[in-house]
Amino acid sequence: MDFLEFVNFYIVPGLVLGSIYALGAVGITLVFAILRYAHLAHGDMATLGAFVAFAAVTLAGVPLYAALPIAMVATALVAVGIDRLFYDYLRERPRIVTVMASLGVALMVRSVVQVIWGVDAETYTRGIVRPENWWGIRLKDREIATVLTMIGLVLCLQLFLMKTKWGKAMRAMSDNPNLALLSGVDNAKVVFVTWMIVGGLCAAAGFFLGLNTELKSMMGWQMLLPMFAAAILGGVGRIEGAVIGGLVVGVVEEVSVMFLPSEYKAATAFAILLVMLIVRPTGLLRGKVL
Amino acid sequence: MTPLLEMRDVRGGYGDADILQDVSLNVAAGEIVAIVGPNGAGKSTAMKAIFGLLNIRGGSITIEGRDITGLKPNQIVQAGVCYVPQVDNIFREMTVHENLEMGAFLRSGDLSSAFERVYGLFPDLRERRRTLAGNLSGGQRQMVAMGRALMLDPKVLLLDEPTAGLSPRYMEQIFQICRDVRDAGVALLLVEQHAKQALAFCNRGYVLASGSNRHEGTGAELLADREVAEMFLGG
Ligand SMILES: Nc1ncnc2c1ncn2[C@@H]1O[C@H](COP(=O)(O)OP(=O)(O)OP(=O)(O)O)[C@@H](O)[C@H]1O
Ligand SMILES: [Mg+2]
Repeated sequence: MDFLEFVNFYIVPGLVLGSIYALGAVGITLVFAILRYAHLAHGDMATLGAFVAFAAVTLAGVPLYAALPIAMVATALVAVGIDRLFYDYLRERPRIVTVMASLGVALMVRSVVQVIWGVDAETYTRGIVRPENWWGIRLKDREIATVLTMIGLVLCLQLFLMKTKWGKAMRAMSDNPNLALLSGVDNAKVVFVTWMIVGGLCAAAGFFLGLNTELKSMMGWQMLLPMFAAAILGGVGRIEGAVIGGLVVGVVEEVSVMFLPSEYKAATAFAILLVMLIVRPTGLLRGKVL
Repeated sequence: MTPLLEMRDVRGGYGDADILQDVSLNVAAGEIVAIVGPNGAGKSTAMKAIFGLLNIRGGSITIEGRDITGLKPNQIVQAGVCYVPQVDNIFREMTVHENLEMGAFLRSGDLSSAFERVYGLFPDLRERRRTLAGNLSGGQRQMVAMGRALMLDPKVLLLDEPTAGLSPRYMEQIFQICRDVRDAGVALLLVEQHAKQALAFCNRGYVLASGSNRHEGTGAELLADREVAEMFLGG
């Protein structure tokens, strides 16, 4: 196999999948850093976002890419609502209680998706999309859109965190929560902003997964493990780390198909997670120790 | 004249047990007041009580006569009290400048005069404004911590062991900054491990032991007191 074929069959799909994981992993790492628990409903919130976009496209006739911001806003509001309804009550309790509650939320969200949209696979658009040839590398428009949107959203998030008052408050809360409170930061507002961002990113991950594969009620749940692997690989609390982690996990999963039966693809993420936790639990970019 | 900050017979602790037993102290405008006492005496706990971080079961805390007992930290900041904890008192992963900015979180509008004031007190920090606070030396971190607390131009500044672990040169520098801060119109309440030096430079002091008041007086009086000297100052 020559180099171009390797790129076309493994690297390109790996980077596209990796961008989707990155969108999820950034959210997971934010929840870890600011709220300090593992959010197991992350994947199913992504599923919900994907199906909200599906409803916008099929029922309201919204253009495909215009459905993305709609899904992001809707999922952000759902995330805030879920926090108010469930996680907020558990804030004073041991973290593991919230982790278990998020597992329950995952099942609930998935059930809602299944009740509304059923369990069959759906797609945003029908027909076969031909990739365009860029100097031998074959790329579909939606693949380019996936990677560029991921980069764009992450840059916006970084700008928000570096430049704005509430972005800085989020970093402060992640860095030293007690001192942030002593400085007068309102924790409830930080939590609200965090869930808005995390919900939006979840929806984007689900949308692009649905766009590049298909929409299924289990789609988000199935990418929970690679998203967590990506967040931990990158270093908990590190946005750039989560992006790098997502891309690495995506590429490694795709490349693993060269050596392993493709059923083992999911196990690759697990292997990465395991190795990282043993060898370098702070991740590539030295994140927080949990 | 009502004191700026007053704790009256405060009783309370972290859980159900009372660590503080009827602690009383006050700080007047233009004063530096030191709290000294052995390890575990409850010095840090007394500061946390002022800052609303304790379950208070008796007594009251007032600022300019206004009761602030049991208010939330951000309300206490708004009332004009800022606090530098003993440990973990900076944002390590934020720059020096951002640390100061967080100190002024509750204030909106132009901060340039506040930055000027703080950088004027700590010229070292101005040079290192883009450095991550976690990469600074111990003394510089303490300056960041104090600078953060001074951004809101508080009426009273609470400092918990500002010189812990610092060399004598830095200790002298921090004390000098404390005087400058006082002369700029901010009253200070500080906990000090270096009891002798602290009593020598403060206006008044309190000796705390086992969670209650033991002695009080001007710095000179306490230094001259034989009992105090035997208990805490190594004879
Ligand atoms: N977070 C906490 N939870 C429960 N008990 C605490 C806590 N912090 C301190 N204590 C207890 O409260 C008592 C007083 O502690 P405090 O930290 O106020 O002492 P201190 O005078 O500041 O001592 P040091 O000079 O060592 O700083 C000690 O017995 C300590 O064990
Ligand atoms: Mg102490």
